[in-house]
Amino acid sequence: MDILRDYGLIFISFVLSIIYVIEPLFMSKLVDTYDSENHKSLNRKKIMLYRQVKELEMEFDIGNINNKDFTKMRIELKKEVSAIIAQLKLK
Amino acid sequence: MTPVAGSVSLSLALGFGLIAVLTLFIYTKNQDQRLFFVGQRLALGVSFFVFLATFILSYQLMISNFDIDYVARYTSIETPTIYKISALWAGQSGSLLFWLFILSIFSTITILQNQQKHYSLIPWVIISLTITQIFFLILTNYVTNPFKPTEADFIVANGNGLNPLLQNITMAIHPPTLYLGYVGFSVPFAFAISALINRDTSPLWIQSIRRWTLVAWLFLSMGIILGGWWAYQELGWGGYWAWDPVENASLMPWLTATAFIHSIIIQEKKDMLRLWNMVLIILTFALCIFGTFLTRSGVMSSVHSFTESSLGPIFLSFVFFILIASFGIMYSRLDDLKSPKKIESFTSRESGFLFNNMIFVVLCFAVFWGTLFPVISEAVRGYKITVGAPFFNQINTPIGLILLGLTGIGPLLAWRRTGTKNLIRKFTLPIIICFISIILFLLIGYKGYVVISFSLCIFVTTAILSEFYLGIRVRKNKFDESLHNALINMISKNRSRYGGYIVHLGIVFMFVGFTGHAFDREKEFSLQIGQVEHLAGYEFELLDLSESERPNHYAWISKIKVTDYQGQFITNLYPEKRVYFHNNPDVNRRQPHSELDIYSTLNKDIYSIFSSIDNQKQIAFLKIMINPLVRWVWIGGYILVFGTLIALWPRKEE
Repeated sequence: MDILRDYGLIFISFVLSIIYVIEPLFMSKLVDTYDSENHKSLNRKKIMLYRQVKELEMEFDIGNINNKDFTKMRIELKKEVSAIIAQLKLK
Repeated sequence: MTPVAGSVSLSLALGFGLIAVLTLFIYTKNQDQRLFFVGQRLALGVSFFVFLATFILSYQLMISNFDIDYVARYTSIETPTIYKISALWAGQSGSLLFWLFILSIFSTITILQNQQKHYSLIPWVIISLTITQIFFLILTNYVTNPFKPTEADFIVANGNGLNPLLQNITMAIHPPTLYLGYVGFSVPFAFAISALINRDTSPLWIQSIRRWTLVAWLFLSMGIILGGWWAYQELGWGGYWAWDPVENASLMPWLTATAFIHSIIIQEKKDMLRLWNMVLIILTFALCIFGTFLTRSGVMSSVHSFTESSLGPIFLSFVFFILIASFGIMYSRLDDLKSPKKIESFTSRESGFLFNNMIFVVLCFAVFWGTLFPVISEAVRGYKITVGAPFFNQINTPIGLILLGLTGIGPLLAWRRTGTKNLIRKFTLPIIICFISIILFLLIGYKGYVVISFSLCIFVTTAILSEFYLGIRVRKNKFDESLHNALINMISKNRSRYGGYIVHLGIVFMFVGFTGHAFDREKEFSLQIGQVEHLAGYEFELLDLSESERPNHYAWISKIKVTDYQGQFITNLYPEKRVYFHNNPDVNRRQPHSELDIYSTLNKDIYSIFSSIDNQKQIAFLKIMINPLVRWVWIGGYILVFGTLIALWPRKEE
């Protein structure tokens, strides 16, 4: 009896899994979402760069970076951020 | 649930896995999103059937179904419930299923977490994770099936029971923690392979795996520390690290993973070391599989046992497959892995990180060579040349001390370059304090590595604390914050950085503990009730010997009174001599075991072992060890965990 019950349970699990798995095949063909993915990754990159600017400011305040390097690195980072913002605006 | 259901679940998981890989592979060619969803759901199905199989085996262990060979081998009716559960990872087939179970949890989380993001990366991430699942499913289906029935022509009334050494609460936690670490690296590895295949080697993929890597590293670190704790508490030789192959198997991926954690910071911030990071994560994952191979193949006991077991060659083939396939893909993407920026100065944080990476890899190679040398020598010369702890200590102590020094130097260096003025300003205080401490330690009478280690610990601590001080001072001046608020805000706004510094402090604590080993003392003696012995200024008096019968063992308990040289009472110790399976009529199957007792302080541990007993004369044979500073290792472990938790705690925007 135990074996019959277990086979029944496994069979039901199997059938339900198959239904769950093949369900997307009955949808209409889906479009790629690369554009929205690209938008998200640009946003992530922007956040990362903002964070780097803040960290750079902290390094400067602590005295880890001299004024010349700080200014140069800050300008570089801001240029990168501006480029990303421009790309985001285009989308 | 019957064991047949478990076997069927494993077979279904394998079938789902193969179709998932095929479907997702077709999707990567024709980009029909429906196939992606089917592949994704098939991969979830693999995990579902693995969960079901694991649940069934755990249930069979709980109800002591000795019709299953695995249950009969690793549990008995008397085995306490907690150890019936932990028996799941006590033997070979169960532990492989458990590996698979954890991998399935991680795979499910990865799929569900990324349902709405990383569309280009995820198909190959799932393929990579599912291939690893398929490998373990082949093992558990065809090589070492945990649901194999017991081969006996009679009803098995009771099982062998769990090895007494494993009947310890730490041992119930240690393997899962270690496995969480081993398996955790499958996810960053899968992302790395996917990034390579998709030619997306910018710092963004690093961001997706930063937290996964830290979580895996945290569990691996905890697993290693808990393993040391278990060895110290249970094995009775007075130490926590013996350079045993199984210990080394967990240390090697930890070393490369630690290097990876440092170098991904450079890729994230400076877009450098793209190629190097790929090499490190591939090595880390391969070493995780290799570690499981070392533990499970039997190769370390003898190369002959390797060939006798079908598990060894399969495991080794999979390790080679990972290395060849990964490095092959990497080679084909070399152009994409060229970093656009270069290190500008030797005295920069970037070069400090790179140097620390090199040292980690050298250390890993030294451990790898020492671990495999006996196997290689046996294979080549026909006899085994054993490489013991002295080899590892001789090679790794100086390398470890260089690493410790770098732990302090790194934070003092600036990104890009550190000017001479800045270099002097930052290094003066730590170096002066370090020199003063060297002189003091020499005056006390310490020598060699002890002086170097303790002084470096002081150097690193000063360097880290000065970084904290500078950060707090800046916040106090800039935002007019109180000391407390400045500290909290500084850490909270720079979690990776200050979490990392706290981890470094934990490492310093651990090095203090390791160095304490140089002062260990021990003595073996026998005592009758009322007799005393002396060691390192302590007096040990045997007060009593008693006996007790417990559910799964019989114990002789000694009561030892410890007093110091002034006669002041310190503590009573109760080490035990136990015999497990004492009711078994077959005397050979009864297992003696020494359950030790430890009196632990920040300064030293008094470690007592009840080796044996002469029942007729009522003589207890004891071993006492005085182990200085061991507690610092465990405190260091707590600090390391705390620091890592800070580093991986998500920010609001995440």
